[in-house]
Amino acid sequence: MSEFTFASSQPGQVQEVDLADETKSDRPWIVIVWNDPINLMSYVTFVFQKLFGYSLKKATELMLDVHHKGRAVVSSGSRERAEFDVYRLHEHGLWATMEHESL
Amino acid sequence: MKENGPVVRLKNGKFKIDLADDHRQLLTQLIEQLRDSLTTTTDDSNLRRLFPTAYHNDAKKDAEYQRLMRDELLESRLAAIDIAISVLATDDEITGEQIDSFSRSINSLRLVLGTTLDIAESDYDIPRDIPRDIPRDIPRDSPQSENSESDEASEDDEYLIQKELYEYLGWLLEWTVSAQSSGL
Repeated sequence: MSEFTFASSQPGQVQEVDLADETKSDRPWIVIVWNDPINLMSYVTFVFQKLFGYSLKKATELMLDVHHKGRAVVSSGSRERAEFDVYRLHEHGLWATMEHESL
Repeated sequence: MKENGPVVRLKNGKFKIDLADDHRQLLTQLIEQLRDSLTTTTDDSNLRRLFPTAYHNDAKKDAEYQRLMRDELLESRLAAIDIAISVLATDDEITGEQIDSFSRSINSLRLVLGTTLDIAESDYDIPRDIPRDIPRDIPRDSPQSENSESDEASEDDEYLIQKELYEYLGWLLEWTVSAQSSGL
């Protein structure tokens, strides 16, 4: 953990409190799809429409963000929801990961 | 552009795959090979795109995620592969769920083949309206040529055949997605 991990300075009485996770818990998780050179643009657009119910316009915009900017946030929500979306995107062969939304 | 490609959506909402027998045989063979790789290989880097990282900035969470989900993802891929093979074995109309398994399996094949070929960004988009055919000189069930004096040349040939196959799969997937999209 790279952020704000508070720990006792006394070895032997370590009671680690990971404030990072505590403060993060209120923030949603975001699901990111990353650019890759293999998946077809039409396929990526179709998968966004199918999995998230996005319009063709919205799905195309997201796909173009992935293509031109290298990544796009395609959904957000609870950790469980984000894991579910990541799993479904992986099922379809897309390069998806998740992280806590930045402050 | 040709009106009807190799995959069409019918008025009743079902789909029809119109592929010659040799195309069906080749695709079946490739998908079966993928199934074999998935079920027998545990550490093939060419399969890495089928099992991506979930938590890109948290290795611990990702390890936990993979422990819980990797087998499920594998089962999902194998189930789709079984359906894709059955779809290729019939001329019947097929359902939306069947075409979904078919397109996911074709895409899985492309991901593995693209990884093997180290495909770069310039190959991203494939025009659908250029007719594609399967490579004609792929050795099928026949032993490798006994002539081993031109190993280098045969490696080049192998690359070209695989590249042609990759483009063929892209062409087929474009048509499949087009048919699926018309039903949204």
